[in-house]
Order: sequence, then structure tokens, then C-alpha cells
Amino acid sequence: MTSKTTAPAVSLEGASKSFGEKSVLSDVSLSISAGEVVSIIGSSGAGKSTILRCLTLLETLDAGRLAYGDLTVCENDATGRARYDRAARTEAHMRFGIVFQDYNLFPHYSVLRNVTDAPVTVQRRDPSEVEAEARELLRRLDLLEHADKVPCELSGGQQQRVAIARALAMRPSVMFFDEATSALDPKLTNDMHALIRELARDGMAVGIVTHEMGFARMVSDRICLLHDGRIIESGTPEEVIDHPKNELTREFLANVAD
Amino acid sequence: MNTMTIGGMLLQAYAVSMQIFALTLLGAVPLGVVVALGRLSRSRVLSGIVGLYISIMRGTPLMLQMFAVFFIPYYVFGIQTGPSYMFVAVMIAFVINYTAYFAEIYRSGIQSMPQGQYEAAEVLGYTSGQTFFRIILPQVVKKILPAMGNEVITLVKDTSLAFSIGIAEMFTVSKALVAGQRTMVPFAIAALIYWVTCLVIEFALRRVEKKLDYYHD
Repeated sequence: MTSKTTAPAVSLEGASKSFGEKSVLSDVSLSISAGEVVSIIGSSGAGKSTILRCLTLLETLDAGRLAYGDLTVCENDATGRARYDRAARTEAHMRFGIVFQDYNLFPHYSVLRNVTDAPVTVQRRDPSEVEAEARELLRRLDLLEHADKVPCELSGGQQQRVAIARALAMRPSVMFFDEATSALDPKLTNDMHALIRELARDGMAVGIVTHEMGFARMVSDRICLLHDGRIIESGTPEEVIDHPKNELTREFLANVAD
Repeated sequence: MNTMTIGGMLLQAYAVSMQIFALTLLGAVPLGVVVALGRLSRSRVLSGIVGLYISIMRGTPLMLQMFAVFFIPYYVFGIQTGPSYMFVAVMIAFVINYTAYFAEIYRSGIQSMPQGQYEAAEVLGYTSGQTFFRIILPQVVKKILPAMGNEVITLVKDTSLAFSIGIAEMFTVSKALVAGQRTMVPFAIAALIYWVTCLVIEFALRRVEKKLDYYHD
């Protein structure tokens, strides 16, 4: 069991980001602890994908602090600008995994190679040990029989599971999902729910960006509602969805209800 | 002189043509990667200089470039070059010319790669070198193979341009034989040899394309 005093697996404090004149995130704070599933919801343009891109270091924050566990990736300098630490940035890449909305698998690699290449190349782990671990992951995700196929031979749901295996093979402590269920039918959505809960049970911190309220409610411990680059409501699914405090939340919920 | 003798002399000269062909590929295929990366560089100065080089190489005749390379040491630097420099000049001109063409093909291939591939590699912690050589380049090779095939076929025939500075490659020899023997047969044989060479290359390229056809994106 993780003790209550350890730092959250990932935390973002006072994060701001603008593209040119346009402010996309302002003063966003968010943390996910080990074993916790947090969904970030909001209408399109609310800044969901920018948060995810900042968390996964594909974008840099203008201001704010980002930390993975005890590893501080960036914090504000004296002028209030976010300053990134190069070494911490590199190390942070080992602490999270992300499943992209369109998976972004490497099409020229077999399923197995998609999963093993980064642990061997980037983490310099023993290839045979990595392969054994990858095969176990593929077995868990019901993909073992497809190990030698290339991604284009698989269905969308299978490709998504390869992307999950690829991320998990790096042994991250945080997993992010970008629109985890937008391409899945109800049966696969249920499987995804079970898988995410299983990851959380094993101590993984899980962050999900989605616009699907039903899924967010079902899978999350906590939901953050993002509106115009700010988190306007945050709490358990019951609190946010059934008893929203903010007028804008009620508006958003009314819009997605149908 | 009988046809056999003519054929034998042409084949000897063909070895020279193939030497130009092979050395050009050996130089231009890898150099093209470097130049393409220079063209795509974030430094506007570097990208501009490389762009100018590519533009000049593609916008002026290869034959003129060959003469330029041949005469520059003497007219610009006053250096006397020996007869062995003829072949060196041909090779320099061919390599810098074909490098420019290959670089443009690589550049378009690299730019056609979806951003998601770079991002997937980045979040997995690949360095930019690892990303390029493991993830991007292998996929680019498959995309550009047909365009590269065209250039390689063109190169087979372009080797005959070395005739203009007196290299004894196959076209030079066949022309001399036609003039000396008062017969078109040397041209016919040379044409046949060029053609068969291209057929073999096309066949080989199709094999490679088929081999890379195990995936699509």
C-alpha cells in the first residue's frame, strides 16, 4: 500500500499556457495519486488536449509547476516563468505512458516490436527479459496471437490495446488516455473500463481526457471539469454530475445530456 | 571488326559506365539524407543555403556542372590537374547533382510523415536521432521508393554525359566505333545494354517494393 504522505504520482500546480494572444490554460492545478483514476472532461476547445500535451511534455507550460512523484520537471523561476529541468524532463518520460486517440503505433514494426523497442532502445533493458514481459502484457490484453502481425492487420480496438501494451512496457507510474473510448463499441468500452480499473487496483495513477460523460462517471474516482482553460468543478462523479456547484457545470451537463 | 569484337569493347566501356553509376549512388544516397536534413533545419540560414544549392543543381545542366567542376581548379585556383582528374571531376559533378535530387525526394518523404509518429516516439523517450533512424527513415524509404526508382533509371542513362569530357564510358566508345567502322551496330548494342540494365534495375526495385509491402499506414 502506498502511504498517504508520498507525493502524488503526477501533480500540476498553477499551470498556464497561451498560444500567442490566446490563453488556453489559466492557473490549472491537478494531481493524480497512485491507484486513482481522474477524468478531465469539458467541451471541445476547453483546453483538455492542451493539459494532456503539457502533462506528457509535448508542450511546455508558460508558468506553473509539474512534478512526477518526487521528480520536479518544471517550476517557476523568479520572473514567474516555468523553467524546465533537462535531466528531469528526460527522466519524466519514463514515468508516464500515453495512449493517443489515434494510437500512433509504429506501422513498420510488428505488434511485439512496437511493445519491446522502446524498453530495449531507450531504457537499455535486457532484450530477452523485455520480450518475456511484453508477451505477458500481450497475453493479458488478449493480443498474444497477434504478436507477429503488423498494426494494419488489426482492428481499431486491438490497435488501441497494442498502444496500451506499448505504454505499459515502459513500466510507468502514470497512464494517460486521450479519448479512450471514442472509437469503441459498448462491449469494448466495458472492457476498457475493466482494464483501467485493474490498472488502478495495481497502483497505477490514471488520467483520462474524454468528452464522454457516461464513461467518465463509470470509471473515475474524480472528475475535473474544464471550461475556458480553468477547472471550474472537481470532485467525485456524484458530486460533479449530480450535485454541481457551478452554474457553468450545470450548463455543460445540460448540453451533453442529449 | 566483327560484332563480337565490337560487343567486347562496348562491355569494357560498360564497366566504366557502371563504375560511374555505382559510385554516384554510393555517394549521393547517404549524402542526400544529410542535405535533406539541412534543408529541413530550423536554422533559416542553413535551410536557405541548402535550398540554393538544390535549386542550382536542379536548375542547371549536369553537363555544364561537369565542365565547371573540371575547369574550376585551373581557371579559379590556377592548379594544373592531371588526366586522372577527368574521372574525379565526373564523379564530383554526378554526386553533387544527384545528391540534390535525392535530397528533395527524401525531404518530401520526411515531410509526409504524420506528426503523431514523432510524438509517439518522443513520449517513449527516444532521442531525435533514434526517432529519425528507427521510426521515420524506414517508413520514408518505403514511401519514396518509386520516386527513387525513376532517378536511378535516369542515372543509368545520364552516365553517358561523361562522354563530354572524354571518359571512355560506353557511349563514348560506341560513338567512336560508329564513326570508325561506318556502322550503326555499336549504337544498337549500346542501346540494348542500357535498356537491359534498366530492366534489371526495375526488376530489383519491384522486388524491394514487394518486400516492403508487408505493411501500410
